[in-house]
Amino acid sequence: MTDFKIRKAEPKDVPDILRLIKELAKYEGMENQVKLTEEDLLEDGFGDNPLYHCVMAEVPSEPQSNNGPVVIGFAMYYFTYDPWIGKLLYLEDFFVMEEYREIGIGSEILKLLSDMAFETRCNSMHFVVAKDNQESIEFYKRRGAADITLDEGWRLFKINRSSLFKMSSGSKE
Amino acid sequence: MHFKVRAAAKEDCKEISRMIMELAVYENMPDQVKTSHEDLERDGFSPNPFYECLVAEVPDEHKTKDGHCLAGRSTCGHVSVSGQRQPASSSLCVGGQDTLGSSTRQVKRLKCCPNDGYTVVGYALYFYTYSTWKGRSVYMEDLYVMPDFRGKGIGTGLMAKVAQVGVEKQCVRLQFSVLEWNKPSLDFYIAKGAEDLTAKEGWHFLRFHGQSLDTLAKEAPKD
Repeated sequence: MTDFKIRKAEPKDVPDILRLIKELAKYEGMENQVKLTEEDLLEDGFGDNPLYHCVMAEVPSEPQSNNGPVVIGFAMYYFTYDPWIGKLLYLEDFFVMEEYREIGIGSEILKLLSDMAFETRCNSMHFVVAKDNQESIEFYKRRGAADITLDEGWRLFKINRSSLFKMSSGSKE
Repeated sequence: MHFKVRAAAKEDCKEISRMIMELAVYENMPDQVKTSHEDLERDGFSPNPFYECLVAEVPDEHKTKDGHCLAGRSTCGHVSVSGQRQPASSSLCVGGQDTLGSSTRQVKRLKCCPNDGYTVVGYALYFYTYSTWKGRSVYMEDLYVMPDFRGKGIGTGLMAKVAQVGVEKQCVRLQFSVLEWNKPSLDFYIAKGAEDLTAKEGWHFLRFHGQSLDTLAKEAPKD
């Protein structure tokens, strides 16, 4: 049984956070879309007003090495707002390296996040999953998650920066 | 119709709460609204707000000659004037005090008359999110204009202001969600360049809510 620990992220974790972000993007078939740098992550997550929070999963390194624990998973989250129910915890990224899956790390991270949601007065935890990612959808549904795109018909939309700029320059004071 | 979009103030929360319920009714989910205007005040106007909000208001020329607010339709046609139920009239300002001659009457809308006499006629509620691929983003949670004031550019004005905030804060994109049957809204957003990521990339919204979150939390490891 592999021993593991889950803890809050620190500034020194930024290189591992970026590495895992890229591994998750690769898993989703979209690795070329990651534009963030370590500097961005450091400023955005560990400045005066963090835009995100992270928890890290680590395992001890090999006994014969003199290295410290190795980071093998993470979850990134932040707080959003639903005018119907109030504060929410939004799970942006959640990833465990392939060779460390199915030993309970993902489950522990999820349970920790839900505990944190309650402590911070959140009534719900939301996230998005690509419908092709059946493995992840099943993982969440087994634990009680509802698919509100299927159940209620919600569809996700985006407007990119250039359209935003066009729209805003038409905005009058 | 001339209108103005401005940042919401704490005092607007009662009106915003009313419109949140109107939007929920439109989306056929009124029983899901659990927040009060006090919740909105606490969550949006503290040192670390969880959302930002814009309101659209109709200026003074749309008020009556007496200086009262524009009265819209009411579902039952009644208001409470100093405790007495009576028919609403276009000269009555609904909400607050109404001074007639030397007397001041307390006038308030009844629960069955949600649409009488408001100058705030729409709102947009949004917050900042974070994309691990590109950075800071803005998420528009609610965009709503009262039915009597639609088709006059107010929704576009509210959304343009959200877009302006997004550009100023260097957000890489604006995201929001729409119910699949809501054709007027779908058409509105697509005309502005919105892409349906559920259709294009297969994204589904999932949630752990209420009991399911409680169950998950109870199994959390103890330190």
